[in-house]
Amino acid sequence: MPALDPGTRAPHYVIVGNSIAGIEAAITIRNRDSAAKITVISYEHAHPFARVSLMYLFCGQLSLKDTQFYPEDLYDRMRFNRISDRVTTVDAAAGTLTLQSGTVVSWDKLLLAVGSSARRMPWPGAYEESAEAPSKFMHHFVTLPDFRALDAAAKPGMSVAVIGGGLIGVEAAEVLHLRGLKTHFLVREPWYFPVALDQAEAEVVAEHVRHHGLDCRTDTPIDGFERRGGRVVLKGREELVVDLVVGAIGVVPATSFLAGSGIDVNPQSGGIETKANLESTTAPGVFAAGDCAQVTWPDGARRPEQIWYTSRDQGRAAGAAMLGDDVNYRRGTWYNSAKFFDVEYTTAGYIPFARPKHGAGGTADGDGWQTWYQQVPGAAVTQRIVCRHGVVKGFNGLGSRWNHQVWMRWIHERRPLEWVLAHMNEARFDEEFTKPFAVLPSATLTPGA
Amino acid sequence: MQSGLLSTYQNPTQNRNILAWVLSAVLMGFYVDLYFYDHLDAVAKLLHLPSKWTFYGLLYTLGMCVGGYFMLKKHGNSRYHMLRTVSLIAVQSILGFLLPLALDFAGRPSYYFSYFFPLKYDILFPSSLKDMPVVVALWFIFGSLFGLPLLVYFKGKRTYCSWICGCGGLAETFGDPWRHLSNKSDKAWRIEQVSIYAVLALVFTMFGLIIGDAYAADGSALREVAHHTKSFYSFAIGSVFSGVLGTGLYPLMGTRVWCRFGCPMAALLGLVQKFGRFRISVKKDMCISCGNCSTYCEMGIDVRAYAMANEDIKRASCVGCGMCAHVCPRGVLKLETSRDPGPHGNIQVWTVDL
Ligand SMILES: Cc1cc2nc3c(=O)[nH]c(=O)nc-3n(C[C@H](O)[C@H](O)[C@H](O)COP(=O)(O)OP(=O)(O)OC[C@H]3O[C@@H](n4cnc5c(N)ncnc54)[C@H](O)[C@@H]3O)c2cc1C
Ligand code: SF4
Repeated sequence: MPALDPGTRAPHYVIVGNSIAGIEAAITIRNRDSAAKITVISYEHAHPFARVSLMYLFCGQLSLKDTQFYPEDLYDRMRFNRISDRVTTVDAAAGTLTLQSGTVVSWDKLLLAVGSSARRMPWPGAYEESAEAPSKFMHHFVTLPDFRALDAAAKPGMSVAVIGGGLIGVEAAEVLHLRGLKTHFLVREPWYFPVALDQAEAEVVAEHVRHHGLDCRTDTPIDGFERRGGRVVLKGREELVVDLVVGAIGVVPATSFLAGSGIDVNPQSGGIETKANLESTTAPGVFAAGDCAQVTWPDGARRPEQIWYTSRDQGRAAGAAMLGDDVNYRRGTWYNSAKFFDVEYTTAGYIPFARPKHGAGGTADGDGWQTWYQQVPGAAVTQRIVCRHGVVKGFNGLGSRWNHQVWMRWIHERRPLEWVLAHMNEARFDEEFTKPFAVLPSATLTPGA
Repeated sequence: MQSGLLSTYQNPTQNRNILAWVLSAVLMGFYVDLYFYDHLDAVAKLLHLPSKWTFYGLLYTLGMCVGGYFMLKKHGNSRYHMLRTVSLIAVQSILGFLLPLALDFAGRPSYYFSYFFPLKYDILFPSSLKDMPVVVALWFIFGSLFGLPLLVYFKGKRTYCSWICGCGGLAETFGDPWRHLSNKSDKAWRIEQVSIYAVLALVFTMFGLIIGDAYAADGSALREVAHHTKSFYSFAIGSVFSGVLGTGLYPLMGTRVWCRFGCPMAALLGLVQKFGRFRISVKKDMCISCGNCSTYCEMGIDVRAYAMANEDIKRASCVGCGMCAHVCPRGVLKLETSRDPGPHGNIQVWTVDL
């Protein structure tokens, strides 16, 4: 191709990853620059699809097409140049990248929105196939290839161990159980999901999961495995014999192909080091957004934000930054939602990381911290409100729907606990005819958070 | 909050495959026979029922009961779905079947009290009104002109389409397994806007002609035209569109084909809804784009597009079945009728200062 005059030629934006971060960046650029050449590269699927729906694909509640969150003609309408291939190497100084097919693509601005892949289990030999055990038993639940492999392997009647007490683990366990596999849900920590739930809340979730008929075990670290007669024996305090294992011990940025690219990657987290405008700290013109970007959290820590809506915000911010805007990506107040089988979960504000407690106090003992908590008797419905000096700082709600925006406004307005309890129904978001919120006689207010 | 996961795509009849085509053909065949032949009269006679229409009413009511049972097995943990399903079945069983049957056996003229103009287009014809007892005539006139529009203004079209209507009732119960098959494309939306308002215009034209006809002289051209329009409407819209296609296409195009593309009542009440209070509120910045809401919208509304854009949903076509809110795993959607849009209007980035 003849080189165009750099002064007049339309810039070439290359975006690796067509999931939420990548595609939002591409749309942001197109909406403001109709002349730009925009190339979107993705190996996983030709269209953006909702990774969060893997469980619905697995159980047949949605088809892959249902999970495509933009109309199928998006690329045509937006004039995106589509490349369905994997990027194998990047040379930041030369401004080029190489695809698996061998093709070299050069860019003016590059966005890496390559997301995450599953954290691999640290067991030697877990991913090897041998003559004795030719079939692959080790699975994950993050990418479409992961999904397809598990979908093909998981047959009713088999037994499976899902390892890891996080959000992906519980989703995988639910759909495997639904398919008719004997499902063991193994959590290393003393209770389920300790980053967000305290012991009482986690017990409500675990009870609910057991009620569905799963074997849900907490405090169950697995140190290794052994193959025996075509099956897998998991080694922990006790032995557990299963056919399949799903490793759900977290995700890591899918950045291993960047080694030697000139783009700085944090050695601990694997996240691409970015400045406030999401540009690489070491490679000008290269940006990162979504799960793979190392960003600053409100508490000052630097780590990736592996969440759908922040990936979207980062994608938009990175798109604007690539257009030359003065961008300062800042994460606001924490909020999130999830679902544990039928139990919906909403959180907003400051909910400290819970660790096993002795007595009432938790991570933030003394110093005016208090926790208000109640559980609706006989139902998987709880509310927890964390306050300091009587002012609310964070909310956790299980089993009913809450508008996190209202909670966040109250936190921002420094509302006292009594006021909030009297107004809680204004933040309710449940279907009509649902029982309203009420403070129960069994509600407790304990020191510590 | 939905109880348990749906395995919709794993069931061969729900998958638009050969079985679904066969089922669709059977349903259409049944309706063709019902409307245009008399075989079912013989069946009715065997069962000592007055006519094939009573037999059809019996099948319809049974279909709704059985479908409603399965529907509630899936979604009955929600009180909204429990109540509206019970309401639909009760209205059909009592007002749509038992009461007309009882009136019939008593030798009195029978009426379906749950159907109004313009869905039951002939109910306000002068010739029909003149034979009705005054209370009955008032019920239909008041209901059609004031009662329903007022209800819809304050509470949404759902009050009729998803709580009362027999067509809606069949879709919500017997048809529930196929709700995900509705077409969500922009093109379908454009077709829908043309076709549904065309039927509405046709109903009003026909109504005008019939009224004119009441004053016209015998043998006038107007009488001729009115007569032809009425038989065309009754054949093309009343039988073929709402019956043969409306129900026959359940396994292929989803359950609300008639309600979405043809029903004049839905069109009219939809216009009221558009200016009324009903909306689906979207919880800001919480949607994970999963696709459950759009997939399970039987009216083919791309709910997800609104949720992703943080935009409340105010659509004339929405029948307020509430399934989007129900299947959303993140509780993003809420059916609302309050006057004030509530405290969730604006989006801001807050920070917690500890
Ligand atoms: C099972 C599951 C459930 C989840 N549920 C939730 C939830 O409920 N709420 C929530 O907030 N978050 C959830 N998440 C997390 C959420 O999905 C991610 O935060 C989000 O998908 C990140 O988006 P992304 O655009 O950064 O990258 P990803 O979605 O990870 O996409 C990565 C993209 O990069 C492409 N790519 C990667 N490497 C290469 C390469 N070398 N060459 C070419 N292309 C490449 C891929 O093809 C893909 O298009 C869930 C994740 C999983 C796995
Ligand atoms: S179901 Fe809920 S989370 Fe999923 S796309 Fe719809 S609004 Fe978003």
